Amino acid sequence: MSSGREHWGTKIGVILAVAGSAVGLGNFLRFPTQAALGGGGAFMIPYFVSFLFLGIPLMWVEWTLGRKGGEYGHGTAPAILYRLTGNKFIKYVASIGIIIPLLILFYYAFIESWSLAYAFFSLSGALADAGSKNELAEFLQGYQGIMSNNYFDSVGTAYIFFIITIVVNFYFIYKGVSSGIEKLSKIAMPVLVIIATLLVVRILTLGTPDPAKPVQSVANALNFVWTPDFSVLSESRVWLSAAGQIFFTLSLGMGVIMTYASYLKKDDDIALSGLTASATNEFCEVVLGGSLIIPAAFIFFGQTETLRIAHTGAFNIGFVTMPNIFAGIPGGFFFAFLWFMLLFIAGITSSVSMIQPMVAFLEDEFGFSRKKTVLIMFLLTFLACQPVIFFMKYGFLDELDFWGGTVFLTVFATLEVIVFGWIYGVDKGWKDLNEGAEIRVPRVFKFIIKYISPLFLFILLGAWTYQMFIPTIMMKGVPEENRPYIWGARIFILAIIGIMLYMIKITDKNKHKGEKI
Amino acid sequence: MNTSAIILMAVVWIMIFSLMIFCFYKVFSKRD
Repeated sequence: MSSGREHWGTKIGVILAVAGSAVGLGNFLRFPTQAALGGGGAFMIPYFVSFLFLGIPLMWVEWTLGRKGGEYGHGTAPAILYRLTGNKFIKYVASIGIIIPLLILFYYAFIESWSLAYAFFSLSGALADAGSKNELAEFLQGYQGIMSNNYFDSVGTAYIFFIITIVVNFYFIYKGVSSGIEKLSKIAMPVLVIIATLLVVRILTLGTPDPAKPVQSVANALNFVWTPDFSVLSESRVWLSAAGQIFFTLSLGMGVIMTYASYLKKDDDIALSGLTASATNEFCEVVLGGSLIIPAAFIFFGQTETLRIAHTGAFNIGFVTMPNIFAGIPGGFFFAFLWFMLLFIAGITSSVSMIQPMVAFLEDEFGFSRKKTVLIMFLLTFLACQPVIFFMKYGFLDELDFWGGTVFLTVFATLEVIVFGWIYGVDKGWKDLNEGAEIRVPRVFKFIIKYISPLFLFILLGAWTYQMFIPTIMMKGVPEENRPYIWGARIFILAIIGIMLYMIKITDKNKHKGEKI
Repeated sequence: MNTSAIILMAVVWIMIFSLMIFCFYKVFSKRD
């Protein structure tokens, strides 16, 4: 049917948009800390095994389902999976393909706004004033509104940067897929690579900044990052962490790639485009991301302290350790500015991709105009971010991340791959994948998609349920005073699920396209 | 740097660069 939907303007445009969605804060913050804690160079073995058996197959599955859905005028999981399977139950379960990006967006947009603020603080000198690690930690907590201190007496400044960030995001969404997201990606992605390369060159040419500590050199930092500790390969936690990283880094199981691919034309290539976007993400993650924060921390603080910092979490490294490092090098304010701009650019190309599925849902299934959709989404995002901002210190953000960023993600990816391989049928799916393909997809991936990837996902689901899901659901280790807020976050998530299920139900009666979704 | 670190870093970087070059060569060798 003719849907009158938008299309991407160029092939490189859609590749960069998907790569932009995949390359996010995690490439520069999460990956290096996971690798440092997971056996250094040895981490690359489970990481690339996961890339091959989970990342690449799932990526092709999402591109294929998305382009197929676009043919029928649908851009989101409930409609696409229902159209391909005819199963109502799947349609309702697939609503998580819209809920996931929304839940992640509600906290990601706030974190993204920190990067913009910190880029500004780097130039204004505010960061330089808070020079020591402890002062920078206080600066961050004051900024986040966790405490009132000499630097910030409320969350007001963070709020202003948050508003600026969502306005910028929605500007690109309002401009549309080709004139907004594609144009943003075509400029932002090359700029991101240039900035990251400049920072890598700066860090790898630091030599031995403190002659009194000759061990803390660039060569030893790279040794620390890359020397393989093969003994960790027998530990399941390293395999799980590598598989999880591949999952998150490629934006898989979120529904965003499916939506982006729905704006392709029927005979557009997806095999090569998907692989190119994934390769770009791996370059940004392993080559660039792997050469930034951990080597820099090693050079300035040594091995023991770097491992301790890595244990304190990726945000601590990004927003406390890195400005502290830059304060110690000539022209550090400029490099700090570049670092936070890098995070902001990585963030915005990802956050626009999280907005688009819901936009597509409202436009495709309800026939809403762009203006109306953007207005609704802007208000929804603005309101839903309020508890994240004001209750952050009580663990509200972490709870959304747990459900949206881990549980639903894994469930949705499993659903997609089962639908593709077993319900829609791997033979039909394989034929679709190869339609218009500009590379020959090795046939072994047909087997991998049908058997290996679902098995991989079931193992991940099982292991995470045992290790992480049950303790988190039972609020193990959560302070008593935080529990009402955690329950609040869960009610908030249930409300969003309820609204989404209701919306899907009323689309059953939606006749604007003369068909049920 | 020790030998195993150099070898591993070189292998991983070369693998990623090769994949990128192959993909972008294919993308740009065909007109949109």
